Amino acid sequence: MINFEEEIRRFKPSLEVEEVEDAIVKSDLTDMTDIMMEMMKEMKED
Amino acid sequence: MDYVKRNRQIANSYYNLGLEKANIRDLTGAVSCLKKSLRFDKYQMDARNLLGLIFYEMGETADALVQWVISMNLHPTDNPADRYLGEIQRKPGQLEREGQTVKTYNQALWHAQNGNADLAVLQLARAVEANPHFIKAHILLALIYMSREDYVKAGKSLYRVLQIDKNNPKAQWYMSLVKQNTGREEVEKKRLKNAFSHRKMEDDDIIIPPEYKENTGLGSILLITAGLVIGMMVVFFLIMPASTRALNTKHNQELISYSQNISDLNQQLAALTEEYDSLQAQAEEMETQLSTIEADQQAVLSQYEAVIGILQAYRQDDLMTAAQLYAGLDPALIASESVLAIVNQITEEMTTEGYQRLEELGTSAWNGGNLDAAIQYYEKSLQLVPDNTAVMYLLGRAYQQQGNTDMANQWFTTIIDQYPDSEQAEQAREARGY
Repeated sequence: MINFEEEIRRFKPSLEVEEVEDAIVKSDLTDMTDIMMEMMKEMKED
Repeated sequence: MDYVKRNRQIANSYYNLGLEKANIRDLTGAVSCLKKSLRFDKYQMDARNLLGLIFYEMGETADALVQWVISMNLHPTDNPADRYLGEIQRKPGQLEREGQTVKTYNQALWHAQNGNADLAVLQLARAVEANPHFIKAHILLALIYMSREDYVKAGKSLYRVLQIDKNNPKAQWYMSLVKQNTGREEVEKKRLKNAFSHRKMEDDDIIIPPEYKENTGLGSILLITAGLVIGMMVVFFLIMPASTRALNTKHNQELISYSQNISDLNQQLAALTEEYDSLQAQAEEMETQLSTIEADQQAVLSQYEAVIGILQAYRQDDLMTAAQLYAGLDPALIASESVLAIVNQITEEMTTEGYQRLEELGTSAWNGGNLDAAIQYYEKSLQLVPDNTAVMYLLGRAYQQQGNTDMANQWFTTIIDQYPDSEQAEQAREARGY
């Protein structure tokens, strides 16, 4: 059976509309291509 | 470059998978695929726009806006996200209403996590009424109903979630528990068993057709009576409860509104109480600081008074008072250089000559028969130079003569223990009776 207290702690608040700007600024947009470019750059420097 | 192309291909594959899942309303699965697609290629516009759409469908308006705004920044032209953002902003007040719904959910979550489940249920009911696709609100509402063992209502909420997002793992898990508790699981198992239990008809099986009967006059009267009874029952059991339900709904709405107001006022009260406590603490701290400053000033003033008193005692040749005041003097509290110079002079006077003069005064008083004055002079002398064993011995003898054996022994013992090599050590032992 579910432990209600424990289960309810797992719920997180939803993002509010006022926080959208901050969330966009903090978004991590790094993709695999960025990571590979970075790795190749480091290899060339070595 | 090859790997760039390869990443795009993987991103496209994940997007296609996400799109397929979204088409069959597996929104949770679609979100997972689309996020993976964007990890491989952040410029995959369709994946980002679809992710925003799915968030919007699940009631997460702010998360949808984040994705569409980022999409517009990465692809400013020919981007469907422009239309989505326009749609939301076109209807006046829509964004505010959706934002308010999310706030209501967050408040409800706060109440639920802080033990106020009743208010949480009212607010969640309002949130799902404002946005029937708000999945998180439905699931939280179902959980609270389950905690109250109201499995029918929990099941209704979960059913709505699974209509929007078929494979929502949390909703599926809760639903399985609801079915276990309502006996629905057994019913479904039986139905499934019956569905596969059809057997092929054999030659001996007979299908009996429904029998036709002609109505008689009495039968018609009975049927009309039965119809009237059924009609009355319909009015009593279906129409009246519906109007009662409508009234209850209206009252519930009013109750929700009042509860919301009470909740807002409680929050304001808590904030004001906190502010009051903080200000009270600051005031107490300031009062403490003020009393400390006053005490410090008083201490400094008393030091200056002591210096004046010492000088006055010197002028009157009252060395006893001078020594007494000097013993309580703390030069560290005196800031004035000119007064410090006077204090240094007094210190030199007291430590080089003062203690001897006090000893002499003590001996004179003793010789004059004033034993109490002698003891006081010796004690003051020791305050100025505490390791003077000659004065310690004289003080011990004075106490001995006075009949205060305890004090006399204390001073003799101090000489014997702490200054065993001094001239007075042997005398002290003899006096002590060793």
